[in-house]
Amino acid sequence: MTSPAEDVVAARPQPRRGVSLADAGPPIALVVIFLFFAVVNTQFRSLTNMQNMLDTAAVLAVVTCGISFVLMMGSIDLSVPGVMGASAIAVALLVANNRNDNDLGLIGILIAIGLGAAMGALSGLTLVFLKVPSFMTTLGMSAVGLGVATLMFNGVQPNITDEFLQGWAVNRFLGLSYLTWIAIGCIAIGYLIQRFTRLGRYAYAIGGAEEVLALSGVNVKPYKIAVFALAGAFYGLGGVMVTSQLGAGLVQAGDGYDFSAITAAVVGGTLLTGGRGGVLHSAVGVLLTVVLTNGLVQVGVNLYWQGGVQGLIVVVAVAAAVIPQRRRNQVVK
Amino acid sequence: MKLKSRPAAALISLSLAAVALAGCSEEASGGGNGGSGDGDSAACAKEDVQLLGQVRNESNPYEAAWLDGGDAFAESVGLEQERLTYDGDSTKQQDQITQRLAGDTKCLVMNILPNGDSDTPPIVEGAEAAGVYTVTQWNKPADMNVADYDYWISHITYDGVESGKQIGDALAEAIGGEGGIIALQGVLDTAAAKDRFAGLEASLEENSGVELLDQQTANFSRDEALTVTKTLLSKHGDKVKGIWTANDDMALGALEALKQAGRTDVAVVGIDAVPDALSAIEDGTMTATVSSDGPWQGGVGLAIGYCVAIGELKVEDIADEDRAFYAEQFLINKDNVADFSTPETDPADFECDNVFNRAVGPIS
Repeated sequence: MTSPAEDVVAARPQPRRGVSLADAGPPIALVVIFLFFAVVNTQFRSLTNMQNMLDTAAVLAVVTCGISFVLMMGSIDLSVPGVMGASAIAVALLVANNRNDNDLGLIGILIAIGLGAAMGALSGLTLVFLKVPSFMTTLGMSAVGLGVATLMFNGVQPNITDEFLQGWAVNRFLGLSYLTWIAIGCIAIGYLIQRFTRLGRYAYAIGGAEEVLALSGVNVKPYKIAVFALAGAFYGLGGVMVTSQLGAGLVQAGDGYDFSAITAAVVGGTLLTGGRGGVLHSAVGVLLTVVLTNGLVQVGVNLYWQGGVQGLIVVVAVAAAVIPQRRRNQVVK
Repeated sequence: MKLKSRPAAALISLSLAAVALAGCSEEASGGGNGGSGDGDSAACAKEDVQLLGQVRNESNPYEAAWLDGGDAFAESVGLEQERLTYDGDSTKQQDQITQRLAGDTKCLVMNILPNGDSDTPPIVEGAEAAGVYTVTQWNKPADMNVADYDYWISHITYDGVESGKQIGDALAEAIGGEGGIIALQGVLDTAAAKDRFAGLEASLEENSGVELLDQQTANFSRDEALTVTKTLLSKHGDKVKGIWTANDDMALGALEALKQAGRTDVAVVGIDAVPDALSAIEDGTMTATVSSDGPWQGGVGLAIGYCVAIGELKVEDIADEDRAFYAEQFLINKDNVADFSTPETDPADFECDNVFNRAVGPIS
């Protein structure tokens, strides 16, 4: 999971010892929580439940993958519900459905992802050229997306009849649904972008010290826009995946995914201040939250307690993960 | 509305003007209009009545159908309905109402879906002050008495305990009165979720062969219901014979989870009668749902206000039990789904003599 080489790339003036310790925290927490549930509950460790957890994690993993790039840059992205809602409705109306005669199949899916990327790019443009903080531009973009989705929704639920897209959620390869494989693919691509492309490395550097980057003659603007567009594409794909799961395009497809994704990323060790973490960290964070949600249901924690218990464990996990950094920074904002 | 440089001052003066206008018009009108009302209650000319329907959002099929029902009524009396939505945001709802009340409120009739219980008092107080005929639905604090108001004509809601029990019984029947079920609850701190689940518990008492294996919340959401159902299916496996859900969105999520798990032997019930649930009942994958008849709700709220505004009904003549009542709801299963799959309003329901016909009892 952790790779020392990553830190070399980021070229941060931090002692590597502390970094690796912080990076090891979330995976250790994941293993501990997983083992705990596996020991106390037989049903939890059953094969079907393992499959179920990975399938459940798929959409959140893709969304978190996208948001990780934005967080790495030190920005925040609240546009998830809007972008996912718009792409979910768009894809439902573009592939074979009960509302119109479209049957674009894969092209429809790509258009929906493109819509997500376009909305992300728009957020990025507003941030860079109008100097509106990312918190506000993306919140606004979310509202725009939901508005567009509501317009396209037009009072009648579009149900998909496209077998290719429906198959994503139903068909399995090596025991895992296609959605899970797509998520794994996204994490791999995300990791490659983060590790081997200029875009990924600059995202880190912008989060670490944007001024330094600017002073060394790098024009950071296009990269910022590109990062938001990339994230938007991931959310768009997330919206398509929700549509595949539910068999219908919902305006509410992305409800709650914004904060679940940010939570997962932070739990995994990506800092909201930027410059740290990454796609693999976030993947660990996603698994952690999914294992936690599933485990609490499996062991039968009272449903009125679950929300609170889950929140508490997340806070403890994050606190444990940031102890090494706290010693160094001394400042908590 | 208009652009205002100093919103607070402008609002106050506008609402003052509105109140003054309303006062004048009440004194002026009365005899010459077509309505049969006379004496102290001022009657509006039929063509002067303004109709307003407000719900959370149009992206929800039920609420969209509600507004369509309002349009159907408005058309039947030769008027137009002003459609407002507030995205489930309480602040936005209050802003819209405040703004609207600051405008021309003469002969205005409002049919409102308050976002939550606590959103009702400011709305009806504002409407009372502005002299706007108001009908609210679903949400109202229990200790608020509609009969204390002159312009808050009626509050309509549905007995959640009853609907929860109806589908609980239908589920028990579908699984042959024997076997395990799981329950998906709504947002736990809402009255709808609590009442509906209480209905299920009442049903379980009568159907002793049915065992509640597990209950979880999926927050009325299709997406969450999918995840929770998958988890519960992997936890309880073949013991699950039926799934009780507190609304149709969750029922549809549960159906997707069953499909992905390759299970076809599980009965699913919900509440709300959204179009997708009706088609699922039609093709046999879903067992039952309960309809509150959204289009009727959208129409009747306006109809009640309209009848009072034109003087055909008088607020003081409306029986106390009709000021806040439970309306009739309908269990939909395979036998009668065809009657509900094309939601239509019946103009006869909106005649002034019939607007309270669906009342099944005062709110306890």
